[in-house]
Amino acid sequence: MKKAVIAALLLVLAGAGIGWGLSAPTRMSAQEAALLTEGDAARGELVFWAGGCASCHAAKGADGEDLLKLGGGLRLETPFGVFVAPNISPSEADGIGAWSLVDFANAMTHGTSPGGENLYPAFPYTSYVRMSAADLGDLFAFLKSLPIVEGKAAAHELGFPFNIRRGLGLWKRLFLDPAPVIASPLNGADVDRAVWERGRYLVEGPGHCGECHTPRDFAGGLVLADWLGGAPAPTGEGKIPNITPVEGGFGSWSAADIAYYLESGFTPEYDSVGGEMVHVQENMARLPASDREAIAAYLKAIPPVSAGSD
Amino acid sequence: MRIIRNATTLGLIAGLGLAGAVAQAAADPIPTRQAIMSSVGAAAGLGGGMMKGEIAYAPAAGKAAIATMRAASLSFGNFFPAGSDKGNSDAAAKVWSDAAGFAAQLAKFTAATASAAEASGKSGPADLDAFKEAFGPVLGTCKSCHETYRKQK
Ligand code: HEC
Ligand code: HEC
Ligand code: HEC
Repeated sequence: MKKAVIAALLLVLAGAGIGWGLSAPTRMSAQEAALLTEGDAARGELVFWAGGCASCHAAKGADGEDLLKLGGGLRLETPFGVFVAPNISPSEADGIGAWSLVDFANAMTHGTSPGGENLYPAFPYTSYVRMSAADLGDLFAFLKSLPIVEGKAAAHELGFPFNIRRGLGLWKRLFLDPAPVIASPLNGADVDRAVWERGRYLVEGPGHCGECHTPRDFAGGLVLADWLGGAPAPTGEGKIPNITPVEGGFGSWSAADIAYYLESGFTPEYDSVGGEMVHVQENMARLPASDREAIAAYLKAIPPVSAGSD
Repeated sequence: MRIIRNATTLGLIAGLGLAGAVAQAAADPIPTRQAIMSSVGAAAGLGGGMMKGEIAYAPAAGKAAIATMRAASLSFGNFFPAGSDKGNSDAAAKVWSDAAGFAAQLAKFTAATASAAEASGKSGPADLDAFKEAFGPVLGTCKSCHETYRKQK
């Protein structure tokens, strides 16, 4: 891990130093912004669960209605320091109550705050960048309908140079890409293309599954060649499993097994889900069955990553 | 859908597995607690399979699943002595560093199996609906313990 931290450090310093222009925060183009329309809060609720926003922005251990109080405060410990999830409730003073839809979309898809600062990728906008304009509009409408929580969350605890947001510009140029990771279903897979694409959208976009299940390189960017091939757990003990269709591994799960796991939390052997996957599974359980089936169809038809490559 | 007719046999195997596990208890706590959890997984598979309709329901099988859970919930907590965090175990360090939290999860598990055992009575829940009502809450207690007290895969 130490080596990775030093490499990332050099990248950040380079980002801060290399021409100011290269590290400037980017924003949506006028054409992209024009696609955004005020959405529907009821539809936005499903986008909210698919996106797992409550897992980071609600209080630690929150349950039931408390999952909708997005006052922030959860501490995310990483090798770069501690990130504290901010307040994204509709409070004008402390949350995002005063933000426009375009401000919100710039944060979600460009990692850029309304004030023009780079946001840290501990906020998984590297996945959210693939979200559709319609979903962003609906999600924003839903967030606006949630309870106001007063009070700002604590500041991040980051050492130099990670505390310089400007330095992230170069990192974003390297790792922020809206293109799909997997272009098409695995050759020979017998899948309905539209269902598979819905699954791809959920996994690669709002579901941000790759942020945990894909290994990272020296600079903290995802190694796309090993997409969903498993990774060491960033926090806590143990490993995050490979969820590609490898023989002798996850490949033995049928599509129905995967959909049932996302619905109930039970593996085909009736072991129960644990660790950080618990929140994700509970969020997936709130989506329509067709979405869980789409995720399963996608996971069954992506390139297998052989064991040990992480 | 594959229907396993001989659900009772499966249940008995699950239950017997547990009895065997407890017998070797004192020797080594890690394989013992793992064998207990493995019987919990087997009982969940039997109960879950009946709930999904993949295994035909029989009251005796329902009773076997519940009784296995009951015994496991009462014994599991006894096999985490100090020092048994080292070795071939998936138990997370938090079991020992946050013993009160772990005890609270165990208490939830034990309470759920107690109600299930009561509903099960002498001959097991009479029909599938009664079984679902009794067994569902037991299945609801696995996640929150694994979330914090077991290492990630
Ligand atoms: C893995 C944890 C995590 C998840 C999941 C997550 N966020 Fe965040 N979010 C963060 C962190 C950490 C920050 C702070 C980033 C920074 O300060 O640069 C943040 C920042 C933000 C911001 C900018 C707030 C500000 O004041 O600048 C918005 C808006 C936001 N998140 C919305 C969302 C939405 C909507 C979702 C769900 C679709 C979501 N987040 C999911 C961790 C997360
Ligand atoms: C009070 C906490 C707790 C509860 C409740 C709990 N588990 Fe576990 N479970 C554990 C721990 C801790 C381990 C790891 C034990 C070890 O490796 O030492 C484990 C391991 C397992 C294993 C792997 C066993 C093996 O072969 O090594 C299975 C399967 C399992 N649990 C299933 C379940 C199911 C199903 C439920 C719910 C009916 C459940 N557990 C409830 C704590 C719990
Ligand atoms: C916050 C990190 C995180 C995210 C995000 C995440 N996962 Fe997981 N996932 C895990 C961990 C950790 C496990 C291991 C769970 C355990 O120990 O029981 C896991 C396990 C799984 C498993 C079971 C694999 C097995 O072999 O047991 C599947 C399937 C899965 N995840 C699918 C997904 C999908 C689909 C998504 C996106 C919707 C997703 N995950 C997002 C962390 C994550």
